[in-house]
Amino acid sequence: MTRVAAPKLLLVLALALAAVYLFPLYWMYATSLKGASEIFANPPTFWPREPDFSIFPATWERRTMDTFLWNSLVIATGVTTLTVLLGTGCAYVLARYRNPWIDIGLFAILMLQVLPASVMITPLYVGFNQIGLLDYPRTAVIIAAAGKSIPFYIVLVRATFMSVPSELEEAALVDGNSRWGAFFFIVLPLARNGILVLAILTFMQAFGEYIYSKSIITTQSLQPASVGLSGFLGPNSTDWNGIMAYAAMYVTPIILVFVILQRRIVSGLTSGALK
Amino acid sequence: MRRILSSITDGKGFDLIMVGVTMLFLFALAGVPLVYNVVMSFQQVDMFNLNTFSRPFAGFENYVAIVSQPEFWLVIRNTAIFVFGSIAGQFIFGFALAIFFMLSFPFASTIRGLFLVSWVMPGLVVGALWGWILAGDFGVLNAILRGLGIIDGTMFWKSDPNLSIWAVTIANIWLGLAFNMMLLSVGLAGIPRDLYEAAELDGANGWQRFTTITLPMMRSTIGAVLALGLIYTLQQFDLFPAITEGGPANSSNVAQYWAWQWSFQLFDFAKGATVSMMMLIFVLVASIVYVRSTRHEVRG
Amino acid sequence: MQFAKRGLLAGLALGALVAAVPAQAQDEVTITVWSIDGANQVGPSDTFSKEFDEMDNGINVEYRILQFDEIVNETLRAFATGNAPDIVSLDNPDFALFSSRGAFLDITDMAAQSDVINPEVYFEGPLNSVSWDGRLYGVGKYTDTIGVFYNKDMFAEAGITEPPQTWAEFEEYARILAKPDQGIYGATLSARGNEEGTFQFLPVIQMSGGGYDNVNTEGAREWLSMVKGMIDDGVLSQDVLSLGQWDSTGTFNSGNAAMAISGPWEIDRMVEDADFDWGVTLLPTFGEGDERSSALGGFNLGIMSTTEHPEEAFKVLEYFVSQDDRLFPEFGYLPTRSDVELPLSGIEKKDAALAVFQEQLQYAQPRGPHPEWQKISKAIYDAEQAALTGQMTPDEALSQAQATIDTILN
Repeated sequence: MTRVAAPKLLLVLALALAAVYLFPLYWMYATSLKGASEIFANPPTFWPREPDFSIFPATWERRTMDTFLWNSLVIATGVTTLTVLLGTGCAYVLARYRNPWIDIGLFAILMLQVLPASVMITPLYVGFNQIGLLDYPRTAVIIAAAGKSIPFYIVLVRATFMSVPSELEEAALVDGNSRWGAFFFIVLPLARNGILVLAILTFMQAFGEYIYSKSIITTQSLQPASVGLSGFLGPNSTDWNGIMAYAAMYVTPIILVFVILQRRIVSGLTSGALK
Repeated sequence: MRRILSSITDGKGFDLIMVGVTMLFLFALAGVPLVYNVVMSFQQVDMFNLNTFSRPFAGFENYVAIVSQPEFWLVIRNTAIFVFGSIAGQFIFGFALAIFFMLSFPFASTIRGLFLVSWVMPGLVVGALWGWILAGDFGVLNAILRGLGIIDGTMFWKSDPNLSIWAVTIANIWLGLAFNMMLLSVGLAGIPRDLYEAAELDGANGWQRFTTITLPMMRSTIGAVLALGLIYTLQQFDLFPAITEGGPANSSNVAQYWAWQWSFQLFDFAKGATVSMMMLIFVLVASIVYVRSTRHEVRG
Repeated sequence: MQFAKRGLLAGLALGALVAAVPAQAQDEVTITVWSIDGANQVGPSDTFSKEFDEMDNGINVEYRILQFDEIVNETLRAFATGNAPDIVSLDNPDFALFSSRGAFLDITDMAAQSDVINPEVYFEGPLNSVSWDGRLYGVGKYTDTIGVFYNKDMFAEAGITEPPQTWAEFEEYARILAKPDQGIYGATLSARGNEEGTFQFLPVIQMSGGGYDNVNTEGAREWLSMVKGMIDDGVLSQDVLSLGQWDSTGTFNSGNAAMAISGPWEIDRMVEDADFDWGVTLLPTFGEGDERSSALGGFNLGIMSTTEHPEEAFKVLEYFVSQDDRLFPEFGYLPTRSDVELPLSGIEKKDAALAVFQEQLQYAQPRGPHPEWQKISKAIYDAEQAALTGQMTPDEALSQAQATIDTILN
């Protein structure tokens, strides 16, 4: 294999792998455009026979998707803000030292992750009810979902802080900075790429939050798009092209944001903070 | 007073505040529910006492009842397959892809970015999508496999007790691959190039370089990926209701779904809590692996 | 908010007392209603709630749509924490979980006084499912049952003139009609691992002389072996184990199955989607002229016992019941009472199908009522699935189910 041809071959291979991996997404769009009987055809058609694009505005309208997506946006923004505020400092401290207390802290954070959200919801619901938080359902969901996303955020942001050289911080302290000064003006700017990327990922995950929202938010006008989607999956009505159309409209904005920002996200994640 | 103040600006106080606030928050939102579940697993619970802590004590009754269910061992076996199958699949494919994309060719990082799309997809959507792809008669996976000549008849991914747990595992590998690949890429990027160059000069072949440089240097990353993988695999819930509902006849039922069934389909909250307590053991192992792996970290 | 309202009310009351102003500006009462209607298409509970809410009678109705799988546990949790709705609509086998514990309001006396609600006109099955210990805890909202849809074109082509009357005929015809090379199955049904599986399998147990308390009947074993054989030979799709009734009937509509076991909720879609001639027949029996049975589906309405406004809630319930004659023409649902006439739709196939389902309803038997119905049901559908996948013989599966059920019943 010559050195010149190799990159091109690799590119072709990479594209092929990506095509296989992304096929489920293609299938979502293709299914949404098919007619009601065509989706049950055997063997399935790979390209919709008569693509019907009217399903998108129709589903958008019928499902009041503007309200649902707005609520998803509100919840995702809240979760991200809370996660970044509470998680960043904690991750920094956990990255800075190397002693048994840190081990215990990390261990505790992971152990607190033991229960799936589907099991946590009953105690949380009971607790939120007692302190009256259920009257502010979106806030309640934001708090609950942040509790799930913070440990994940801490573990990953901690890795970012690990790549900030400790000498820089020590130099700042020697120069007379307080711990706060060193943290905010030296360490944070150096780690900002990683933090930004993880904030974006937290946001996108929170955009799909489902289990807490469906139990806590009882008013339809406050529910996020995930709960709206589950409304399709009724007992005796599984309208697959509608589901896929809804899913497509739900995830397309996330995917678009992702594709636009992906260079930044990928480099933020792979090259650490300093490169 | 001043001591405290100066400690907050300059000493341990700073660290304690940073960690303490977050830990308190996490403890309230995850620790209390955990305790609630532990307590509940030793009690008799119904809809009239769900709201209070004072309930009839049941001792180990719930645990005995769970272990003597006819499907208990099946669920354990499935949980093991799902967890280890998912982690192995995600890790091996993720590692392979991560190494592949470290090679230099045009658009490498752009294409790698596309793989991350699965990570940001809502679980509910992924479940619906895979449930649809894996369907027996009108599922597209079977059509593709038949077209490629790999299978002859129809594979009933969701209805064949020998395949159903693998069907969910495949979907979960797809979902978790991105996460693994990304974290492993981060680890790979952190290995200094010159180490490889030196090894190459010494005449080490690709495999030797992988085992003597890549793996040891990646120890902490690998530990983190595996531990987080285990925890997130045990959290994975959305795929089950959407793909197999644990069936047929519990052949794809796993602990986290079983716990949910007890609580929310059979309305026996105490037994649901009991199953979730048994999952604690798995996470305990994962957490120990993770914490141990951080010992090998080198700070930048 | 709650506090402010109460303060307002107290202030008003005081004002009325002092100034003797007629209490016209009363605080309006809000009744919350939970149901699964309205998620996919307009349904009765959402429509009637909205209509009642718009009436100027001092009672507002707040309506919430829930998902089928969640409505019971959401209600349970809300009830436990004091956030229960005033009125909730539940699938009929789930009703006893609440009525047996007094979580539903006993409306026996209110119904006796009512001009609208008369328990005597209800069909026996739906009435049983809202009763507990001889007291009335709710009313049936709508009902349904299952029968066999068959593709008349395929039957004619194969020279079969009559739809199957016995299970033996059902198997015989299915084997004739299956064309594996064209992707056509002889029949389809739902043996899914949830309530839908029990819904279709329990009638088989019942018509062979059993019931939910006695599942290991000879007929049930025979039936399981028969269906297992059909799956093994490719006459039935193995996916009947994971498909719900709506998806399973979807394969019938697209011409991929010659018969389908399902219910009247399919009719409207079938009229639209199926481009062949079809009909409906009663669920087969074991021998000719043997005992018939079918499933009793449908939802009930009840007032939660925690309501602060039982009288107003009852008025809302009365309004819902008073609209029963609109159930079929507007929503395609069958009323649970005998005194409502169903107008013909003018669509020939639909009217013919309706007649069959009305006859079938006479044989429909409720699931339970039992407060732990969900556990009984799981034992039944687990057994069906274990037998159909070959993990156990029908006898092993059913005796295991029987053992589980016995511990629940005793």
